[in-house]
Amino acid sequence: MATTACTTLTRPPPEDPGRELTNVPFFPQTIHQCGPAALATVLGASGLATTPEQLAPLVYIPGRRGSLQVEMLAAARRQGRLAYVLEPDFADLTAELAAGNPVLVLQDLGAVGIHFWHFAAVVGYDPDRELVILRSGTERRRIEPRRRFLRSWRGGRNWAAVVTPPDQPAATATGGGFIRALSASERYLSADAVSTAHAVALARWPAEPLVLLASGNQAYAAGQISDAIARYRALLLVESGNVAGRNNLANALLDAGCTAEAIREARQASALVPAGSALAEAVADTLAKATAAEAAGGSTCRAE
Amino acid sequence: MDFRQLTVAITAACFLALGLQSTASAGVIGTEAYLASQARAGHLADINSALARADVQAQLIALGVDPANAATRAAALPDAELAQVAGQLQALPAGGDGLLAVIGVVFVVLLILELTGVIDIFKKV
Repeated sequence: MATTACTTLTRPPPEDPGRELTNVPFFPQTIHQCGPAALATVLGASGLATTPEQLAPLVYIPGRRGSLQVEMLAAARRQGRLAYVLEPDFADLTAELAAGNPVLVLQDLGAVGIHFWHFAAVVGYDPDRELVILRSGTERRRIEPRRRFLRSWRGGRNWAAVVTPPDQPAATATGGGFIRALSASERYLSADAVSTAHAVALARWPAEPLVLLASGNQAYAAGQISDAIARYRALLLVESGNVAGRNNLANALLDAGCTAEAIREARQASALVPAGSALAEAVADTLAKATAAEAAGGSTCRAE
Repeated sequence: MDFRQLTVAITAACFLALGLQSTASAGVIGTEAYLASQARAGHLADINSALARADVQAQLIALGVDPANAATRAAALPDAELAQVAGQLQALPAGGDGLLAVIGVVFVVLLILELTGVIDIFKKV
């Protein structure tokens, strides 16, 4: 029996598309360059063909003989992808695998007292045999027992991330987390891609305050004032104390000619904003604008 | 409406639209600005909860620093430096147990004081 158990552990199980993302590309790493190799792996799986050589100048730091997590995320964003850091939980990692997303992980493969940081891409998990399958280093299909993987992953502070196209939120993403990821990538995305991503977020998280604020702002920037007003109002229904939402609603109402209502909202925003808040200046601008509009008088409200 | 009138009307409409656009966006809080303000609030909360710990306050007082003063100084830091301090706090041992964590927090406070230009604290140590 002992021999059988040992054999099961040492001989890799056959590739099983049911438990493993077999189509994820593999880039064998050259010396120290696990960061670029692992990043090219997950970018490739997200539909973006690139190579570790192309990515190395973006993430590899010769002096440290390695890459930093933030640099890895930033490089993915520059390629027009969203980089989403997972909750530090193995269940979230397997949930992403089930959704078809390979997971970038940081491991500490060192022994007692000596760190050996390593980036790899998890491409599969076999729950029956408790085996984690990775594209790692020079191994296309590295098999690690779950317990050993968890130990090395803990050494990397359970850091894990997925890289997705902007219209495909990570399986474990929260609405707020998705908007933060989108905002960090936005400057590298086309206006159409950003607009689509907001529509996807709104459909998936219709009551999430940050999603409503961001998609309201998106509609406002596109000149769709009545959509913007509707989203800001929906936001204030779930979070009445949201200063930014109330402030932006006042601005949208002004644009729609609804001066009286705008001034009410602007005053409320002004009363809500904490002293010294970074938002205070914008709120004061809004109130001044609303007051000026009221003094000018004679507008017709087109919001209803 | 002849061609010239039409041209004038279109040009006027464009300028009007431009004018509306620029005044309209003056008071609007963009998503990125909002997220930055949220991050700042989160960093300040982290620092304040560290400064509120009794063991940390004892260390500060031993160094001749008024804990309330340290909190005020932290609140005045610009975003990037605040993020730096909060990052240092995150690198501390989780749970904040033991002397090592306290020394770490005091180091963070010294960092705040250095960033805000109060460096004569070292004369008192």
